[in-house]
Amino acid sequence: MGKHILILLFFGPLITFGQRVMVVKDTLASDGDSVVVTATRSERKLSNITVPVTIINAKMIQQNGALRLTDILKEQTGLTMTSGFGAGVQLQGLNPDYTIILINGEPLVGRTAGVLDLNRIALGNIKKIEIVKGPSSSLYGSEAMAGVINIITDASTSIPLQASLRYGTYNTLDASINNTLVSKKLFYQGFYNYYNTDGYSIRPNSNNRVTTPITRLTTSQQFKYNLTENTNLVFNTRLTDEKIISNIAVSNGGVTIYSNGKEHNTDINLTGSLNHRFSNDLKTSFRSYLTNYVSNQDLLTLSGAPYTDLLNHLFQRVENQTDWTVSKKITGIFGAGAVWEGVKSSRYDSEKVRKNNTIQYGFTQWEWTPLEKFIVIGGVRFDQNASYASAWSPKLSMLYKLNPQHKIKLSIGQGFKAPDFRQLYLDFTNAAAGNYSVFGSAEAQKVIGQLNSLGQIGTLYSNYYLLKSLQPESSTGIHLSWDWEPNPKTFISVQAFRNDIKNLIQVQQVGAYTSGAQIFSYLNIGRAYTQGLELETKYQWNSDWSLSGGYQFILTGDKDEITQIKAGTVYTRDANGVSSRLSLSDYVGLPNISKHKAQFKINYVTKDGYFANTRFVYRSKWAVNNTDGNQVYDTGDSFAAGYLSLYSSVGKNYSNGLSLQVGCDNMTNYVDANNLSNLPGRTFYFSIKYQIINKK
Amino acid sequence: MKKLFTQITFVSLLTMTLFACTKTSDTTVVNNTPVTATVKDLVADTVLGLDAKTGMPYSAGIYTFFNIEKNTIIPSTDTANGNWDLAFKTTKILINGGTSGNALGGAFIYNGLFDDLKTIPADSVFKVDNAPSSYAITYVNDNGWYHYDYATNIVTPIPGRILVIRTAKGKYAKIEITSYCKGGVNLTSSSSFNDILFKQRYYNFKLTYQPNGTKIF
Repeated sequence: MGKHILILLFFGPLITFGQRVMVVKDTLASDGDSVVVTATRSERKLSNITVPVTIINAKMIQQNGALRLTDILKEQTGLTMTSGFGAGVQLQGLNPDYTIILINGEPLVGRTAGVLDLNRIALGNIKKIEIVKGPSSSLYGSEAMAGVINIITDASTSIPLQASLRYGTYNTLDASINNTLVSKKLFYQGFYNYYNTDGYSIRPNSNNRVTTPITRLTTSQQFKYNLTENTNLVFNTRLTDEKIISNIAVSNGGVTIYSNGKEHNTDINLTGSLNHRFSNDLKTSFRSYLTNYVSNQDLLTLSGAPYTDLLNHLFQRVENQTDWTVSKKITGIFGAGAVWEGVKSSRYDSEKVRKNNTIQYGFTQWEWTPLEKFIVIGGVRFDQNASYASAWSPKLSMLYKLNPQHKIKLSIGQGFKAPDFRQLYLDFTNAAAGNYSVFGSAEAQKVIGQLNSLGQIGTLYSNYYLLKSLQPESSTGIHLSWDWEPNPKTFISVQAFRNDIKNLIQVQQVGAYTSGAQIFSYLNIGRAYTQGLELETKYQWNSDWSLSGGYQFILTGDKDEITQIKAGTVYTRDANGVSSRLSLSDYVGLPNISKHKAQFKINYVTKDGYFANTRFVYRSKWAVNNTDGNQVYDTGDSFAAGYLSLYSSVGKNYSNGLSLQVGCDNMTNYVDANNLSNLPGRTFYFSIKYQIINKK
Repeated sequence: MKKLFTQITFVSLLTMTLFACTKTSDTTVVNNTPVTATVKDLVADTVLGLDAKTGMPYSAGIYTFFNIEKNTIIPSTDTANGNWDLAFKTTKILINGGTSGNALGGAFIYNGLFDDLKTIPADSVFKVDNAPSSYAITYVNDNGWYHYDYATNIVTPIPGRILVIRTAKGKYAKIEITSYCKGGVNLTSSSSFNDILFKQRYYNFKLTYQPNGTKIF
């Protein structure tokens, strides 16, 4: 048997056998109601979920022709993609730093400047993506401040083999093989994806990596072994290997400077879990998770010194979660775990020494259903950390079903984001731009003290003496939503939200070198808010045609800036150089946030397998640059122009398992080289997919 | 033609000088009216090109000396007798006092609007240059008169920052820098690399000078 498994491990994807199919139904979804796991860390019907949740299913991913996680998230209400350090996601106005990205419930690591590049995640074997909006640290701990995005891989048993190939503009090639093996006791799925693009250059001489050639390999292996009827072992691996080549030539005044850049990023995730069901009312699972993200950048300027940048983030976690159904009206979960985490980086004092942190945590959540139409969920989590202050994260949410047509949800929760390693340990001097330095708060006083004894420090500000261990950034979020289904064909949902954020960790100058170059560190100084409205609608016109749309309106602000503006100590300058006091009505709030965002989709699907869709995505202008020098974003600053992009695809799924699709992204060819490096011009693609489907 | 022009200039300069002399020598008729002027595109060590090896911009590394009373640039060969009040080199502005000069110069930065500063507050402290650790007009980014954006390499004067100057002769003036760019235009992140490189280091400022020695503008 052992030998047999070993063979499967290596040759699994090449073998297919369809006999003895273990039919595992979606335990709760038999009546067409989707199942959500992220909102409560347990399987719940979508109709009983008490917090705002968006579900993106595999069908939607296929119809949209989405390849990477970015492709599909940009078309969701309340989500905006950001450019810079890869593609990040802004959720309800909060930066990418504040949304935790999970794969099957386990967090991804390896962020640059707080951004986790979502292009790292291939969508080929994804069953669905669940997005929970609002602080969710009561279940997920740090980073779940704006919300949670959980990517759930496909573990369906009905497709033994699937292969797909897609080719498009810029020589973008994407090939996937998905292979499933099922026996009475064992389930195996292998996924292999190869992605290659020549990149695109919407701005010549740009050093933005999105414009450069990229090769990515992703493999994932899932094993599930049923020890007994009530006990199983699950083992998942995932590997993403990414190579980026960036040869840059900057020409100016007859002088051309060539640089050859190479970037190699590897992301490994290993998960093992043992799940046991004691009875229908009690089950427990032990999970162990290890992930390692290694990024190596080499930039060789042909006439200058080589530049290397290394980041190695190791994250290990063990966790237990027990689910207990006390009675028909009361269910509870308990969990506890520990994290060992470490980062090595060439931007710290030594790239050979790993900076470590350990976290212990415990959480519990109780669900009470006093009436069939009323559900209340309360939960709390405590995180104890070695490197920064501990955090309590409570959350309370409720659902009231007035009648089959109307539902009201209310949730209040607290979220936090722990100081990251960069904010604690960065030791970085930018020789290319003014020799300024940034030191992480944990070591700033020590490092600056040493420089001072060498006579290199010109000035120390009063906040230098305030540097101490950082507090986690925290937010309190309130979400109120109303779902209305006036008839089975129509769905309308309106949601109001407000997030109050305090202890924001911001870079602030703490002193200056004798040369005048600035010295920065990180302090808990910021207070901000985001608030807004979201509207989502779906309309099934007839059996073939459906419409869906979403809109978000958002207002944001830095509370300290507002105080200063009210006090009359913030000034602005018009284009003619005339200064004046800034009035609150000219204040635009936080940068990179569009007040309006909307998307609309026209979808056509026939019973005999034809499908076609057209999608519109609109984003209004957003502040990008402080042109008047007052460090506050106001109407006089520079904005990226609002834009509308248009996407379309057509295809057919044949009953023999073959699928064909052609599509065009960004049909109007909208580009903005300065502000939207992640949006290439118009691209076309063609894809072919073949799957063997087991008939149930 | 050229000669004629030179002559006219000479004559007018001479008249101006005579006129000025008459004014200052006549102590009974002190001019109490502050003089307001606008200075355009004062060159402050502009970039000459990119170093072929390092790719970094280089410049001549020279100061431009300015006399506030005469509203004129002083040749660097003619600065020994203390007739300059300010010296500009990139974002660095020196005053004629402390380690930078042996005259009465001093300065501080006032936060507020140019027109609102009608009287220099009595408790104001004029600083002098103390190289290399501190300068009366600090050139540390965001602390003095400008903001430097590391991402775009654009220098923007911070609105509401007024340089209050004590001249070499101990008279008072206020200055608001309105632009650091040639022609007084605004550069943005979408400006060309060439513009950002070569059109900066040009000072445009508004100046009010009180010739009577009081602190009232």
